Amino acid sequence: MSYQVVIEPLGETIEVEEEQTILDAALRAGIYIPHACGHGLCSTCKIDVLEGDVEHGDASPFALMDIERDEGKTLACCAIPTSDLVIEADIDEDVDAESHLVRDFTGVVTKIDTFSPRIKGIFIAIEDDGIEFQAGQYINLKIPGLGDEYRAFSIASPPSENNLVELNVCLVKGGKGTEWLHTQLKVGDELKFSGPYGRFHAHTSEPGPMLFLAGGSGLSCMKSIILDLMQKGEKRPITLMYGARNQDELYYWDLFRELDDEYSNFTYVPILSDEPKDSAWTGLRGLVPTVADEYYEGQFSGKKAYMCGPPPMIDACITTLMRGRLFERDMFMENFYTEADRDTKPASPLFKSI
Amino acid sequence: MSKRLNLKERYKHMTRLGWETTYQSMDDVFPYDTYEGIKVKDWDAWEDPFRMTMDSYWKYQGEKEKKLYAIIDAFAQNNGHTNLSDGRYLNALKLFLQGVTPLEYQAHRGFAHNGRHMRGEGARVACQMQSLDELRHAQTQIHTISHYNKHFNGFHEFPHWHDRVWYLSVPKSFFDDARTAGPFEFMIAVGFSFEYVLTNLLFVPFMSGAAFNGDLSTVTFGFSAQSDEARHMTLGLEAMKFMLEQHEDNVPIVQRWIDKWTWRGYKVLSLIAAMQDYMLPESPMSWKEAWEVYFEENGGALFNDLARYGIRPPKYLEVCAAEKDHLSHQVWGVLYNYAAPAAMHTWIPDDRKLDWLSEKYPDTFDKYYRPRFLHWREMEKQGKRFYNGSLPMLCQLCQIPMAFTEMDDFTQTCFRTSEYKDDKYHFCSDGCKDIFDYEPEKYVQAWLPVHQIYQGNCGGPTLDDVLKWYQFNVGSDNFDYVGSEDEARWNDLQGKGEKPADKSAA
Repeated sequence: MSYQVVIEPLGETIEVEEEQTILDAALRAGIYIPHACGHGLCSTCKIDVLEGDVEHGDASPFALMDIERDEGKTLACCAIPTSDLVIEADIDEDVDAESHLVRDFTGVVTKIDTFSPRIKGIFIAIEDDGIEFQAGQYINLKIPGLGDEYRAFSIASPPSENNLVELNVCLVKGGKGTEWLHTQLKVGDELKFSGPYGRFHAHTSEPGPMLFLAGGSGLSCMKSIILDLMQKGEKRPITLMYGARNQDELYYWDLFRELDDEYSNFTYVPILSDEPKDSAWTGLRGLVPTVADEYYEGQFSGKKAYMCGPPPMIDACITTLMRGRLFERDMFMENFYTEADRDTKPASPLFKSI
Repeated sequence: MSKRLNLKERYKHMTRLGWETTYQSMDDVFPYDTYEGIKVKDWDAWEDPFRMTMDSYWKYQGEKEKKLYAIIDAFAQNNGHTNLSDGRYLNALKLFLQGVTPLEYQAHRGFAHNGRHMRGEGARVACQMQSLDELRHAQTQIHTISHYNKHFNGFHEFPHWHDRVWYLSVPKSFFDDARTAGPFEFMIAVGFSFEYVLTNLLFVPFMSGAAFNGDLSTVTFGFSAQSDEARHMTLGLEAMKFMLEQHEDNVPIVQRWIDKWTWRGYKVLSLIAAMQDYMLPESPMSWKEAWEVYFEENGGALFNDLARYGIRPPKYLEVCAAEKDHLSHQVWGVLYNYAAPAAMHTWIPDDRKLDWLSEKYPDTFDKYYRPRFLHWREMEKQGKRFYNGSLPMLCQLCQIPMAFTEMDDFTQTCFRTSEYKDDKYHFCSDGCKDIFDYEPEKYVQAWLPVHQIYQGNCGGPTLDDVLKWYQFNVGSDNFDYVGSEDEARWNDLQGKGEKPADKSAA
């Protein structure tokens, strides 16, 4: 049993499982509700329940007083829904976020491309009106070989191609889901998924050149966003810095080179970290954050940075950007966590979403 | 119908305090927010994550008061003090009322000043609210603990003592230093260092100590205050982020303040360390454990994140790490030595406590500290209770007696000196000496209780003169717990021992 919770002023709907707190569900859905102590003592995460009922859990009588309970307030870190809810939290409206309903889909695999030794492109055709989503969002794919388990994958195709969903699946060492998709999935197979999810997208209302930093299969959402921007006639400078290990792993090289030729405001910078020294590669070598730092001479202020890929790469990029005077409000990121990242180290409350 | 305003917009309409002045220059209206060298490009980038408006502030805080006072009243009516674990526990409360409650008041004054003198309205509003919170905390603490003043000694003159007595000049000097700094340094000193980095180390020992020792009323004001603390912690973090993001030239200034105020705060906490390990009859955790959880782990995560701004962890953390096995034992030794001029009682821990200390400090306690306590206990038995007859040299900076040892030789007192304008100044540590050397002109003015006694400014030349000037009830407020009026009263409440003399006759 789970409940639908609409979070105002975003208008976004999230799913909250039985016994799950609203805060936990919101954070997992990528929605930041201000919070601090996490166990009902401090009242930082106080929210208004506009419709529906909650249990207040362990909220301290000082952090959530009786009059507040009567007024329909609760603490997101302790509150557990007992019905579908509409809540209002103290969050900034994101004017660039589109709102699309989450739906369930069944599609058929029409093509499986081997992009690189570790990354496959999986193309899923869906019938009827297709999926409506915002470029940068992801779906939850049910892995047929793993019973009811779902894995999240960003959509690599642009929203204009809404009947053919492209996923880029990187083989995770020891990862049961990606291993199944790499070895067992065949053209013609049926796949079930739900979506769209996520709040990673282009912030076109905010001025400044866009810098995209991606690694591995993190290229997928960048591809969707960049194709979408170009189709919509975006004019501001856009740079894509993409890191791969070597030329074998560098995929969609042709696509982005062509875009670079076609659009004067788009620059493609492929970067290889582990290419043999004597190879014919004439492009840049090194790790994305290091190369980006040299490329921009350590100055990033004024830009908007978008990052997508493995968590350590994003972590290193954030440090480079901050040293180059670009801060959290100008950074947007989608971490490609794997099941193995579940035990994450404690974070301080210094940042909201980093 | 017009759209309902969201919280952010509502807040904006409720709190407009900022405008460009016309007939006076902004620099004249806000004379203090530039001289420290902090460069601000855009005050509007200050984010107030709480967006609390005055009307809701009064409403909520008023409601919290009602709740707290209902519990305090119930505690008094039920003679809650009779349910404490042991009479020794009272001394933790004395230290709190004498040493910490006046800091709440100082914080109130400091934030009120900042609430007037920072140019950005977001910062001003947040500081004004915190100023009111701090005043509320001071008041509720005084009211809560006043119950104990009806039954026990050592509570009656706490504000007077705070301004005069040697061990209380340690926390007092921290806030005097912070409040005489500029508004930005105050934010790092109090908002960041005190309210964020060190607040758990201050409050957890007292509040969970209270819970472990049957002091329900103190636990309740702890909860009541804690519902404000998150706002304070967030303000401290926001202030620091704001400075770091506004201009790169701010980074080295903020780094120096982080170094300074972490060390200053750490030295104040050494009193808490002694309280936590020695004054609590039932201890939820040792000082060392608290330091590891609240500083090393939580602080470690914070400083990892701050590294992205180019901020490194505070200086001398390796000293703190080495001292965590020694700090509380050395400080309790000092308090025991100077129990005559102290408005609280000391004692030699009983065997159960000694064993607990051995368990919590396996590397150091039996080797260095248990023998010393056993020796003093033996002297007591022989009727030769050891009181240090001289007055200690105080560190010019943190004002703690210079009784800490070198960390590579635990028999050697750590002792540093600096010369300034032909005078010699003494310090307990490299950390304190560094702070002095950067701003000697400020710290040569320090009011050091021992120096003042020797200069004849504290009532007269004898101990009795000084204690009279302190307004101690000699023999009631000071000396050992064993044999004290407090002990007799406690035993009487427990139905053992003889009925003590009436307190008012003492």
